[in-house]
Amino acid sequence: MNRKNALLFVAILLIGGLATLQYLRRSYEYKSNQFLMDTLVTITVHGKDETQLKQAVTEAYTEMHRIADLADGFPQPGTAAYNSSDVCRINQQAGKQPVRVDRDTIEMLLLAKKYNRLSDGAFDVTIGPVMELWGFGGKNPHVPPADKLREALKLVDSGNLEVNETEQTAFLRKTGMKLDLGAMAKGYATEKALQVIKKHGIQKAMIDAGGNIRVLGSNLQGKPWRIGIKDPRKSDGIVAVLPLENSSAVTSGDYYRYFEAGGKRYHHILDPRTGYPATNSMSVTAVTRDAGLADILSTVFFVLSPGNALDLARTMAGVELFLVSADGHIRHTPPLLSRLEVKPGESYRYDQGR
Amino acid sequence: MTRGDKFLLAGLLLIALLSVAVLYGRLSFFPAKTESVQAVITAQGKLVRKIELVEGVKSSFVIRGLGGPSTVETDGARIRMLEAPCSGQICVKEGWIGHPGQTIVCIPGEILIRIEGTAAVDAVTR
Repeated sequence: MNRKNALLFVAILLIGGLATLQYLRRSYEYKSNQFLMDTLVTITVHGKDETQLKQAVTEAYTEMHRIADLADGFPQPGTAAYNSSDVCRINQQAGKQPVRVDRDTIEMLLLAKKYNRLSDGAFDVTIGPVMELWGFGGKNPHVPPADKLREALKLVDSGNLEVNETEQTAFLRKTGMKLDLGAMAKGYATEKALQVIKKHGIQKAMIDAGGNIRVLGSNLQGKPWRIGIKDPRKSDGIVAVLPLENSSAVTSGDYYRYFEAGGKRYHHILDPRTGYPATNSMSVTAVTRDAGLADILSTVFFVLSPGNALDLARTMAGVELFLVSADGHIRHTPPLLSRLEVKPGESYRYDQGR
Repeated sequence: MTRGDKFLLAGLLLIALLSVAVLYGRLSFFPAKTESVQAVITAQGKLVRKIELVEGVKSSFVIRGLGGPSTVETDGARIRMLEAPCSGQICVKEGWIGHPGQTIVCIPGEILIRIEGTAAVDAVTR
């Protein structure tokens, strides 16, 4: 082999080697949608092994379905869905006897009780009877008569929800009490699904469960995922962009499930202390590592007044809060200042760091 | 090494360096195509329509969901669900969307309208 050929050989080897390296380094994106828990769930995963990515996503959906089935409060008695729903079985035995339930149901109910106490009742999963009166989720939501609402409110009390960890049972002490895990099950299921994905060794993923976002690692460009926060009054707008890594952002807004009566708008996030929709904020975004907690906190912060919500958020380690108050003020916890890109536009007021 | 060898060596090194630059720096090397926004519509998980959202163009069409026909309207770079057969009307109340990453979801009909394009955000919390 003469020198020329040797050089050519080395160069080809070099280029070939680099190309192979790039081939081995290449990353797949696998994205999949499913209608689940009354919303659209999108899971995006990045990684090298396509088969493994698909497998992980399939298992993540299975996990979400499992939690959804446990927490589903709507199936008709006698159906298979009814029998596999812990919430239905607990509701059915209200005032009668404790019901043995899944470990995850116990976990959810303990969380629910904890944040009921921490929020002084602004979060309450025993809101079922009141929710039912309003008819959210059904075909014909309406403003219930005040006297009926007062009666139903008497049944709302997480103090009468008994959770026995050792026996793995749950019990509603009064007849007529009803659990509604609508304000937390989606977040809890999202977190469980993400843990499944993580177990498969995947390092970059995003679960978007109807706007409840949980991300793992960074996005495909190696940067934090960029999460827009929806403008509560302009459907095609966003009020801020939040970079997110290994964390979760969940928003509660007054614009999602609502109906209008007598010129007034009634949305589905009820204040358990009054039985009426909470009106302190247009939208509230809770940011914290765990999607289950973020879901609960978005409701807690939505129901509380903006001032109380910000005060409570400041006392919680690893919890950030962004909100648009009813009077159009954008406010957030101080550490978000350096991360957020706020786009208040003309509709909202924003004084930095307030 | 002859003069020819040197040229060859220089040429090959240049090719190698260029290849590395192209392989590793794809995105910055060739700028992304000019911004185009399209709406992707799926019903029951199947792609039913892809439509380019172009300024100055209006259109409307019908999508068959599980609950019956729904009417979708586009106006320039925006798209919305104009009519739906469901009782909740959540998708209709959603109004116009037009930014990549935004979605309109019709749960009873299992219809999904998603804006795709050079996204400024990866997802929107709502």
